Amino acid sequence: MVHPNVKLADSNIIVKAEKVNKYFGSLHVLKDIDIEVRKNEVVVIIGPSGSGKSTFLRCINHIEKINSGHIYVNGHLIGYHDRSGKLVEDSERNIARQRAEIGMVFQRFNLFPHLTAIENIIEAPTRVRKTPAAQARAEGERLLVRVGLADKRDQYPNQLSGGQQQRVAIARALAMKPGLMLFDEPTSALDPEMIGEVLDVMKELAQEMTMIVVSHEMGFARAAANRIVFVDEVRSSNRPRRKSSLPIPARIGRGCS
Amino acid sequence: MYHFDWAIFLKYIWPPSAFQDPLIRNGLIVTVIVSVVAQALGVILGLFAALGKMSKLAIFRWLSEIYIWYFRGTPLIVQMSLLFFGFGVTHIYDFPTIFLGVVAISGAIQAGTLALGIDEGAYMAEIVRAGIESIDPGQMEAAKSLGMTFGLAMQRIVLPQAAKVIIPPLGNEFNNMMKTTSLMVVISAGELFYGFEQVNARIFKPFELFIAASLYYLLLTTIWSLIQARIEAGLGERKGTTKGPGMMQRLFTGAGGKGVR
Repeated sequence: MVHPNVKLADSNIIVKAEKVNKYFGSLHVLKDIDIEVRKNEVVVIIGPSGSGKSTFLRCINHIEKINSGHIYVNGHLIGYHDRSGKLVEDSERNIARQRAEIGMVFQRFNLFPHLTAIENIIEAPTRVRKTPAAQARAEGERLLVRVGLADKRDQYPNQLSGGQQQRVAIARALAMKPGLMLFDEPTSALDPEMIGEVLDVMKELAQEMTMIVVSHEMGFARAAANRIVFVDEVRSSNRPRRKSSLPIPARIGRGCS
Repeated sequence: MYHFDWAIFLKYIWPPSAFQDPLIRNGLIVTVIVSVVAQALGVILGLFAALGKMSKLAIFRWLSEIYIWYFRGTPLIVQMSLLFFGFGVTHIYDFPTIFLGVVAISGAIQAGTLALGIDEGAYMAEIVRAGIESIDPGQMEAAKSLGMTFGLAMQRIVLPQAAKVIIPPLGNEFNNMMKTTSLMVVISAGELFYGFEQVNARIFKPFELFIAASLYYLLLTTIWSLIQARIEAGLGERKGTTKGPGMMQRLFTGAGGKGVR
């Protein structure tokens, strides 16, 4: 095999995965995954739990390490660099720098409970990007307006409903001005009546953002996705494995938007 | 029948008269300052040992394990004697007196404080590690996904939350520390118990004097319990969560007390 380029030529490709494999012990979670996500595309990954959707998403920002293959984000290999033909894991600082360009929203929100809504939002811009506090605060307040929570600025996460927390978490990710947003089942920990408010924010965001969303929300997929990727294999220990747990792009529903 | 010497007893339990004896006055000051410094050293060493134990690099894990293993597995009084007498006689380090302005810090006090702090670090390591591990791993993931390095995420996100879990046992450790400083008597550092021992050597009233000594320690630990209860109430209030054991419970059930190591 020719060793891969560390850089991609086409700047319109935001995410490119090539033959990605991932094991948890003997469990082969991701098998030869290939996918390409272009700028401003909204890709929704749908499928049963345990099929590796979330794991794949977490590999994109290198929170999980892959066992083989390559993932490029914003044109660069994520988590690794090429040292004379061999892939070597990047320094922590370089990985952090790449992650700063990738927003992530978690199933369980993962807001920082010791910080208020606005403090959650400005923490990374001020500490990582070294944005002046006043500027970060002004931008943070604009983001809170955008997710409809201007009045919750000084509330702690435990004073907010699940839907409100998730909207703050979206604002927190957006505050880093990422080129790509990853959503890991963003509505599955929410009470049904709160799902709508989060999906509305995501739909609006989908107009202008590159997004990869792992979700069970068919309605959202239909309304906002450019592409829907179905994961069709249920991982069960006794069943013979199919070729790929994430059959991308083997079964793609296109034109659902 | 033993004749209890009330005059001596009252003289030595009543601070204004007891403090006329510089051995007692300075002893109390040394006990308090050494406790604070040794505990602070213990917290810092404990933090590093805890992070070392959780490190990806085997060498850091081993160093931490060996440190904790040795200092939890050997008596403090032996560690202290080894550090002061052993290092002195071999000239590894002589512990010369340090002068800070008008204050002279004897070698024994330095060695004692160091031994107390290093020993304490081995216990704090477990407390800090438990505190860090009590925090949802999703917090570290969220911080990393925002571009924070491990160190920044620890400092800004994980440790401030872990502090809430660490502070109650830390308070108990400090209570213990104030009592444990009395072991410094073996290296003749001039702390409170050493003061009473010296007075006893002069007038031989061990019953009266050591009751008085015990009351001074009781005073220190009781004052600390009050402060600790207030700190923990503050912690609980701010986040509207759990409350620690009450003052009375703390004093009489021996919550967290461990005795001399």
